[in-house]
Amino acid sequence: MSLVSFVKVTNNAEDSIRQAILESLNAINYSFEKEVKNVVIKPNLCYYWDYSTGQTTDPRFMAELIDLIREEISPNADISVVESDASAMKCKYAFKILGYEKLAEDYKVNLTNLSTDPYRYVQVKAGTQSFRMMVPQTIEKADLKINVPKIKYAMKGIELTCALKNIFGCNPYPRKFRYHPYLGEAIVASNKAMKFDLCIVDGNIVSGIQPRRLGLVMASRDFVAIDAAAAKIAGLNPKKIKYIKLANKEGLGNISFIPKGAPISHFRSAYPRKDVKKKLMGNAYSLVTRLRMGRRLGLE
Amino acid sequence: MSRGPKMKLVKLGIIGLGYVGQIHLRHGLKLASAQVYAVSDLSKKSLAKAKNAGVKKVFSNYKELLADPEIDAVIIALPTHLHLQCAKEAADAKKQIFLEKPIARNVEEAKQIVSAADKNSVKLMMGYPLRFSTEFCNLREKIRQGELGDVEVAYASYISSGPFFHRAEGYAPTPVPEWWFNKKLTGGGALMDMGSHLINLLRWYFGEVKDVKAHFGHRFGMDFEDSAICLIKFQTETTAILNVGWFSQQYHLTVEALGSVGHAVVQHRPSNTLSTAVQMLTTGTSRFHQPHFSELQYFVNCLIRDISPSPSGQDGLKDLEAIEQAYNNQIQLK
Repeated sequence: MSLVSFVKVTNNAEDSIRQAILESLNAINYSFEKEVKNVVIKPNLCYYWDYSTGQTTDPRFMAELIDLIREEISPNADISVVESDASAMKCKYAFKILGYEKLAEDYKVNLTNLSTDPYRYVQVKAGTQSFRMMVPQTIEKADLKINVPKIKYAMKGIELTCALKNIFGCNPYPRKFRYHPYLGEAIVASNKAMKFDLCIVDGNIVSGIQPRRLGLVMASRDFVAIDAAAAKIAGLNPKKIKYIKLANKEGLGNISFIPKGAPISHFRSAYPRKDVKKKLMGNAYSLVTRLRMGRRLGLE
Repeated sequence: MSRGPKMKLVKLGIIGLGYVGQIHLRHGLKLASAQVYAVSDLSKKSLAKAKNAGVKKVFSNYKELLADPEIDAVIIALPTHLHLQCAKEAADAKKQIFLEKPIARNVEEAKQIVSAADKNSVKLMMGYPLRFSTEFCNLREKIRQGELGDVEVAYASYISSGPFFHRAEGYAPTPVPEWWFNKKLTGGGALMDMGSHLINLLRWYFGEVKDVKAHFGHRFGMDFEDSAICLIKFQTETTAILNVGWFSQQYHLTVEALGSVGHAVVQHRPSNTLSTAVQMLTTGTSRFHQPHFSELQYFVNCLIRDISPSPSGQDGLKDLEAIEQAYNNQIQLK
């Protein structure tokens, strides 16, 4: 079984965030290798909503991680923060609006829009689907790849997004909604095509039915395990989430994990979970969009 | 403005089928005294939808729409940087004009639009739906009737996600058109976009603007403001604090008038999702969008009865003058 750490951020100050990241890595016995030269960090940038919504990775969290990497590996480590264009988001604006341009300037890191990065195709199977995935050069060249996702509820069928789903965001193809009919398989295929080394979850502010300052940092080398842990925190059964099960079946990691650090129950009780009303609304909205009635009903 | 010939059934052309254009199309199709005769847009998908909805002619180039002699009036719902050229051409083509706010990117362009409408003797109405909201009309009546006494202070707030559309539960993220990110094309940020609504409304309540000072916020680091707080003195001696912003996922629009006798607060907010869905199914519009329908109905009635509409192009110009004054009178806070 894999180790997953849970660490409480004691307050919202930068040094507290850094301490929590460090403790989360120590708890899973992770140490940075000194010979690493190129580091890729993949935050979760979603649309143009900033960190306060809980939907996107906090640039302050990234700043502390970058400082830590430079301290542990080398002050000259070449670090690239990567994201790709999505159906409704363009990196060139998201980087600016969400504070990443300033981060890049202040911390001397590269900002890479993977949708404009050179890539090669790889053929990947996941479940019953086969995908021709684009793998960007920046990701292939990196010696160390770190995933820094958020914990969020997602559309019906996916239910939760965290580590595995964030790697789907490395797919340079911008019109990602095309994958929606088989999104679970596409998430697993992305993780098979682009294997990251480490996941550190920015759970300081999370997005449940509303944002909440949860003060959580999680770390693991196993993305299936960390997603299973995130699901438990969000009040979901990971064994009922199809893509997590598929990722497990495809050998990407274990649903069972050994928790380290603070008790998971502390975060589970504080997570802004969906209530029955929200679940019903979610089901109704899903039905409406499937029937393409959103505009007619004033929902678009 | 001089008067034109009276019309019985007004034939409308809608130029631009973006977010607001679609609302006008939906409402235009419900008007008894008008027909949405033609639409123009670059999106083939939008044109096909309009055709299916019963619009007779669709054009990918608005110049062809303007050249159609059957069309009496046009609704211009284009990005702000295209207002000047399109409105001038529409006026030259002798089409009556309903123009979305803000009137233009700057005062100079606005003057040219007003002048083109005057020169061609066509009516020019600005799209300010709050002026047609029952609640805001009632507040005006209270102020006019003296129910509140002298309104010493007014607070007006309009906070939403602006062009960064609803991302709350139950709504899908919407791509933001590129022009929204370019100040050269918009002329400004949140004050231009949302402040124009409030300045127009407050001018309607309290008369012309005497002085404006403003503080601008740049939370998102763009070269235009994403929030603004303005201090405005009106001719009636009312002082207003106007607060606009694109920074929130939650929609908030409220106006409060504090008078020497009493005070009143008016809010405009969307109904809950279920209620909206029921309204859409039963009436084809939502209560939230009812003012859009009313303003279009009023515009058509003005054309039929041959009267000058209000808010006029002059109003749009004066609103923009106040906004420019705010941009020029910035207060810096440390």
